[in-house]
Amino acid sequence: MKQRIGVYICHCGGNISDYVDVEQLGKLMAKENGVLISKNVMFACSDSTQKEIEQDIEENKLDSIVVASCSPKLHTHTFRNVAIRAGLNPYNYTQVNIREQCSWAHSDKPMDATIKAYGLIRAGINRVSYSEVLESLEISAQKVVAIIGAGVAGMRAAVDLARMDNQVYLIEKGNTVGGHVAQAGRLFPTNENGKEVVDRLYQRIRQQSNITLFTNATLEKVSGSIGNFWIEVKLGSEELKLNVGSVLVTTGFDFYDPKEGEFGYRLSDRVITLPDFNKMVENSKGKLIHNGKSVKSVAYIYCVGNRQSKGENRYCSRQCCTAAIHSSLHVHEKFEDMTAYHLFRDIRTYGKQELLYQQSSKNGDIYIRFEEKEPPVVELKNGNPTIKVKDYLTTKRELTLDTDLVVLVTGMVPRTDSNSVSSKLKIPIGIDRFFNEIHPKLKPVETVIKGVYIGGACQGPKNINESVQSALSGAAKINATLKSGNINLEPIIARVNADSCLWCGKCAEVCEYDAISSIANGGKLIAEVNKATCKGCGICAPTCPSNAIELAQFTDNEIESMIDGLMSKAEISPRVESQQNNQKAGVQSLAGYPKIWRTIANALEGNTLTIPQIAEKIDQEASLVTWHLMTMNRYGFVESAGLNDNEDYFMYKLKK
Amino acid sequence: MSTETFSPKILVFSTDKISDPGIDQAGLRKLHYSPSVYVISLPCSSGIKPRWIMRAFKQGFDGVFIAADGHECSYSPKCAEHTNTIIVESQKMMKENNINPKRIRMAALCSVCAEPFVSHMGNFSKILSELGSLETEVYKAQ
Amino acid sequence: MSIDKTKYDALVVGGGIAGQEAALSLADMDYKVLLVEKDLSIGGKMIHLSKVFPTLDCAACITTPKMSETARHPNINLLLNTNILEIEKDNGIFSIALTIRPKYVKEDLCTGCQLCEWVCPVIVDDGFNNNMVGRKAISIAFNLANPKVAAIDMNHCIKCKKCEIACVPKAIDYSMQPQNISIETKTVIISTGFNLFKPENKPQYGYGKYPNVIDAMQMDRLIAPTRPYNSVVRPGDGKIPDKIAYVLCTGSRDTSIENAIGCSVDCANNPICSQICCMYSIKQAQLLMGALPLADITIYYMDIRAFGKGYEEFYQQAKGMGVSFIKGKIAKITQKDHNSGDLILRYEDVTTGTLKEAKHDLVVLSVGVLPNNEIAKVFTNQKLELDDQRFIKQVDELLSPSLTSIEGVFVAGTAAGPKDIPDSILSAGSAASEAASYINNI
Ligand SMILES: Cc1cc2nc3c(=O)[nH]c(=O)nc-3n(C[C@H](O)[C@H](O)[C@H](O)COP(=O)(O)OP(=O)(O)OC[C@H]3O[C@@H](n4cnc5c(N)ncnc54)[C@H](O)[C@@H]3O)c2cc1C
Ligand SMILES: Cc1cc2nc3c(=O)[nH]c(=O)nc-3n(C[C@H](O)[C@H](O)[C@H](O)COP(=O)(O)OP(=O)(O)OC[C@H]3O[C@@H](n4cnc5c(N)ncnc54)[C@H](O)[C@@H]3O)c2cc1C
Ligand code: SF4
Ligand code: SF4
Ligand code: SF4
Repeated sequence: MKQRIGVYICHCGGNISDYVDVEQLGKLMAKENGVLISKNVMFACSDSTQKEIEQDIEENKLDSIVVASCSPKLHTHTFRNVAIRAGLNPYNYTQVNIREQCSWAHSDKPMDATIKAYGLIRAGINRVSYSEVLESLEISAQKVVAIIGAGVAGMRAAVDLARMDNQVYLIEKGNTVGGHVAQAGRLFPTNENGKEVVDRLYQRIRQQSNITLFTNATLEKVSGSIGNFWIEVKLGSEELKLNVGSVLVTTGFDFYDPKEGEFGYRLSDRVITLPDFNKMVENSKGKLIHNGKSVKSVAYIYCVGNRQSKGENRYCSRQCCTAAIHSSLHVHEKFEDMTAYHLFRDIRTYGKQELLYQQSSKNGDIYIRFEEKEPPVVELKNGNPTIKVKDYLTTKRELTLDTDLVVLVTGMVPRTDSNSVSSKLKIPIGIDRFFNEIHPKLKPVETVIKGVYIGGACQGPKNINESVQSALSGAAKINATLKSGNINLEPIIARVNADSCLWCGKCAEVCEYDAISSIANGGKLIAEVNKATCKGCGICAPTCPSNAIELAQFTDNEIESMIDGLMSKAEISPRVESQQNNQKAGVQSLAGYPKIWRTIANALEGNTLTIPQIAEKIDQEASLVTWHLMTMNRYGFVESAGLNDNEDYFMYKLKK
Repeated sequence: MSTETFSPKILVFSTDKISDPGIDQAGLRKLHYSPSVYVISLPCSSGIKPRWIMRAFKQGFDGVFIAADGHECSYSPKCAEHTNTIIVESQKMMKENNINPKRIRMAALCSVCAEPFVSHMGNFSKILSELGSLETEVYKAQ
Repeated sequence: MSIDKTKYDALVVGGGIAGQEAALSLADMDYKVLLVEKDLSIGGKMIHLSKVFPTLDCAACITTPKMSETARHPNINLLLNTNILEIEKDNGIFSIALTIRPKYVKEDLCTGCQLCEWVCPVIVDDGFNNNMVGRKAISIAFNLANPKVAAIDMNHCIKCKKCEIACVPKAIDYSMQPQNISIETKTVIISTGFNLFKPENKPQYGYGKYPNVIDAMQMDRLIAPTRPYNSVVRPGDGKIPDKIAYVLCTGSRDTSIENAIGCSVDCANNPICSQICCMYSIKQAQLLMGALPLADITIYYMDIRAFGKGYEEFYQQAKGMGVSFIKGKIAKITQKDHNSGDLILRYEDVTTGTLKEAKHDLVVLSVGVLPNNEIAKVFTNQKLELDDQRFIKQVDELLSPSLTSIEGVFVAGTAAGPKDIPDSILSAGSAASEAASYINNI
C-alpha cells in the first residue's frame, strides 16, 4: 500500500469546477489514508502544473500520484512523462476522468456530480495504492528476416528490408524466382514483360550482399517468438536452422484449375484457361496459332471459379477482368482481323484500368453480359465449341457463338499447401481460405502472431502493384520493430500465480495469440505467459477456475478496491458560493443571432411543429428552415418532440 | 425508498479504445444521464471477472452494464462470445445470491455511440427502478 | 518535442489516413517526421465517414486512435492550418517554405472546452457536415478533431468579443498573424488525397437545384453517429425518406461533361472508374436498411465493382437484405413538384432495353474521385509529373509504386489514383518503406 500519494484535482478553468466542487473535494481527499498531498489546480496539463507535480514528487518523495481531470485518452501520456521526469515509475500514476464522465455529463446536477466525483477520485486513490512498479519489457531482437516465397512480393520486400540494413533470408520452394510473374508475358498496366520485370528485380537482389536466397527450399518447422524465431529449412538433403527476428510470408496463390467439363474444359483442346492462352499469344508470331490451326475468334468467359454464390469460391479475384481485357488488347495489336467476345458478369476494371476496357470497346470487342443464374453453355461438336448465352445487355436475347477458341478467365485460389504453411506459422485462414490479417484497416499485414506478417497475393487476390505495396508495408512494419535490435513491449500483460495454478489449460484455450503454454514448476505443470506475445487483453483471466491468472494494472486488488472506492460514502456539504456563474452555457437569449432564428422560435412558442409546418407559418423555403432549425437543435435552442401522426416527419419544440 | 426518488446505482465496464471514448462523447456533448452511473474501463470486455461483478453488487450497485466492443474488438474475433460466457457465469453466481439476473446487461457500443449509451442508461435505470434497490431484493428473498 | 524543428528526415504533406500511416511508419523507424496539413485537424476524408466497408466498423473508431497516435508520437511534429509555399531541391536536400495561417486562438492555451462556441452569435456553414447544417464562427472543426483547438472564421467574425470574455484560459487573440517558416528535409511524401467530383457539373442531375438530391459524402454524414440531424432526414424539408435512389458513376467513367464549374473541362471529365463508389453506396444502402427499416433502396449502376477482399460477399449480402440493383444509366433527374420535393429519375433499363421513369424521395449521387494535384505547383526547380488523369505520376508502377518523377519524393494513398481505405493504408506503408530505404542509402 502506498503511503505518500499525491492527488491533483483540476478545475479545467471552470469546465470541471463550474459543476463539481473541486475545492471541497481537495480538502476531503487530504484526509484519506495514504494521501500526503492533495491540491486543486487550474489546468493540470499546463506546463507550470506539470513542473509543480514534478517538484512535489521529488521533494516529498511521493510514491504515487492521482490526477483527476479529463479523459485518460487525452493526457495519460502527459502525466506518465511527468512521473518519469521526476523519477517515479509511470505506472504508479492513475488518471481519474471527472470531466467527460462527470462534470460535463452531469452539468445539470452539480451536487450529484460532486458526489460522483468524490467516488471516482476515491476509486483512483484506492487503485493507485495497489499500483505496482512495472518495467517495460525489453527483448533483444535479431535484425534478420525470413521471407517465405520469392514471387514479386517477397523479392521486392527483400530489397527494401536489405536496404534498411536487415539480414534477409529469402526462402523459395521452387527452383526459380519470380512466382507467377516470371511465367507471364506482357503485363498490365505498363506493358512490361513479366520475365523482364522479374529479371530487373533479381538484379536488385543480387546487388544486396545481405540477402541470401535459397531455392528448392522447404519450410520444415518454426519455433520461438518475435525477436527470436527459429526457422528450420530443408535444402535438398541439407537442413538449416535460421535464427530470425521476424517472418514475412509471401507465398502467393495458385491459378484456379477448372474441373473437367466446366465450360467444356478438358473435353476439347479448344477450351483453355487464360494463363495458357497468354502463353500461346506470347509464343505465336504473325498469326495466332493453336495446335497448328490459326485462330480468328476468341470468346472469353469471365469469373470462372469465382463469385460462386453457392460454390466454394464466393470471392472475386480482382485482377482477372483486367488481365483478360489486357490480353485481348494484346491479341488485337499483334494479330490481324481478330474477333473477341467477352462473356462477363460485371466488368471490374476499377480505377485507371477502366481505360483498357474503353480501348477494348473501341477495338470492336463485343461484350455480352450474363448472370450467374443463367451462365453460358459450351456445347461441343467434334471438339468444336459452340456457346449459347442470354445477353442481359440486349433484352436477354439468346445468342449462339461459334468461336475458334474459348478462354476461361480463371481467377486465383489459395496455394494448395497453404494449410501446412499456416499450421507451421500459426497464421489464421479466412473464409475465402486465403491467409487472414488481424484487421483490414488497422492491421492489414499483421497476423495474430507477433512478428509474423503477410504480404502479396497469399492474403487475397491482388495485381502486382497491390502485391508489392502490401509486401512493402510488411517490410516497413518489420523494420520498425527490429530497427534498434531491441523490442520494447508494454508491461501490461498477463501473469500466473504459480501456487494456485493447476494447469487446466483453459486460459491457453481462449488466448488468441498462443501466448500461454505449460511449464514444469515445483513438481507440477503450471501455465506460463510468453511476455513477448501476450497482448494484454486479459481474456484469459476470467476463465481460470482457480483465479490464478491476472492482468497487470487490472488485478483483483486494483479493480475491487476501485469498486469499493466508487461506493464510499461522502459527507459533502452544499457549495457555499452560489451557482450564479453557471448560466453561461445554459440560458442563452437569441439576441444577436440570425433573425430567422427568432422567427422560428416565435412560431414554436407553445407549439410543436414539423419543418414544412414551420416553413408555411413563417413563409420560408423548407430547406432553409431545415438548415437553421438543425443548427438551433445543435446548439440547444430546440429539440425533437417525436414523430408526427403519419410518422414521416419529426416535430420540434423549443428547449426550455 | 420510493421508486420516484430511487436512482439506481449502475457500474459500467467499458473498454479503453472503443466504448469508453463513446461514453466520453456523451459527456462532451452534454447529453445527460444519471449521475449514479460509474464507469471502469478495461482493455477488453472479455477480461471482466465475475467476482468483480459480484463485488459491485455487494458494495451496493443495483446493476452492472457491460459496454462491449462487439465485432470491433481488436483482440479477439470471439470477443462477444467470451463476454457472454462471463455474463452467464455471473448470472449463475447472482442467482445463488438471490440477485435478479436482469441486473446485468450487455450491449456493443462504439467510440461515437454517445446517444445509444445515454439511452441504454435510461432503459437500464428504468428496469432497475422497477426491480427496486438490490438491498430490498436480496432482503425480500431471504 | 525535443528535436530540431527545422531539420527532418521526412516531410509528409496531407494528414488523411494515408499521411498518418506514412508518418507513423516512418516515426516508428525512428525517423523525424514533419506532418503538414492544410485543414484544422488531421483525419482527411475518413474522419467524415460513418461506417466503412466491408467490415462495417465505425470509421471514427479506426481513425481516432491513429490520429492521437500521430499527434503525440515523439518523432512526429504536426503543423495544421498550414500551406506549403515552395519546395526546392539542392544537393539532395529539400528546402521547404511554409506558412501557418492564424487560428486566432492560442493553441497551447486552448483546452478545447467549447465555451467560446456556445456564446458566439454568428452562424456559418459547417463544412465538416458538407454545409447541411450551421456552426458558429468560432468552433472546433469537429468533435473528434485532433488537435482539439478552436479557431475563428475571420471572414464572418464580427469581433463582438463574446468568446474572448468566455474563454477562461485567455486563448483568444484577434491579432494573430500568419507565420512563415522554413525547414529542411531529406524526403517528401505526398499524401494530399483526392477531390470529390462536384455534382453541379452534371446539371441534368439537379444537384444544387433540388434540395433532395445530395451527394454520397452528405449521405455518409447523415448516417454517421456524429451526424448533423437527429435522424436520417431529407435536407429539403426534414422528411424521413422511404424511397432512396443511388446514382453510381456520377462523374466517373464519363467524358460527356460540358461547361464544368470551378475547373477546366479536362478536370471534370473523368474517363476512369473511381474504385470506391460502388462499394460505399452498397455500404450506405446496408446502413440505411438498418436505420430506416421501411425504406426501399435502389442502386442504379453500370457494373458493380466489388473487387476487394470480402467485397463480393458484401455485395451479395446487400442483395440478400433486399437492396434493389438496376443496371441502367440515369439520363435526367427532375423534381416532381416543389411541394413534395420528390424526384423523377429517367433511365434506360439495360436488361429490358426500355426507357423508364421512377419516383424517389431522396437521390444520392455517388460522386467520383478526382485528382488533387495542387501540390505539384510548389516544386520550384524540379518537376513533379502528373499522369494522364492528372494524378501524381508513379514512374515504376509495378515494382516501386510510390516512386515519383523526383528522386526523394514519394506518393501515398489516393494522391496517386483512386483507392479505398485498405489500399490507401497499404500504399502508405509501402511509401514509408521506400522512403526509409532511400534515406538509409543517401
Ligand atoms: C492470368 C493472370 C494474369 C495476370 N496478369 C497480371 C498483369 O498483367 N499485371 C499485374 O499486375 N498482375 C497480373 N496478375 C497478378 C499477378 O500474377 C500477381 O499479383 C502476383 O503474381 C502476386 O505475386 P506474389 O509474389 O504475391 O505471388 P506469386 O507470384 O504466387 O509468388 C509466390 C512465390 O512463393 C513461392 N512459394 C509458395 N509457397 C511456398 C512455400 N511454402 N515455401 C516457399 N516458397 C513458396 C512460390 O513458388 C512463388 O515463387 C495476373 C494473374 C493472373 C492469374
Ligand atoms: C462518400 C465516401 C464514402 C467512403 N466510404 C469508404 C468506406 O466505407 N470504406 C473505404 O475503405 N473507403 C471509403 N471511402 C474512401 C476513403 O475516403 C479514401 O480511401 C481515403 O479517405 C483516402 O485517404 P487519403 O489519405 O489518401 O486522402 P484524404 O482523405 O483525401 O486525405 C488527404 C489529406 O491531405 C490534406 N491535404 C490536401 N492537400 C494538401 C496540401 N496541399 N497541403 C497540406 N495538406 C493537404 C487534406 O486536407 C486531407 O486531410 C469513401 C469515400 C467517400 C467519398
Ligand atoms: S475480376 Fe472480373 S473476372 Fe475476376 S472474378 Fe472479379 S468480376 Fe470475375
Ligand atoms: S492477456 Fe490476452 S494475450 Fe495475454 S495471455 Fe491473456 S488472453 Fe493472451
Ligand atoms: S466504383 Fe462503381 S460507381 Fe464508382 S466509378 Fe467505379 S463503377 Fe462507377
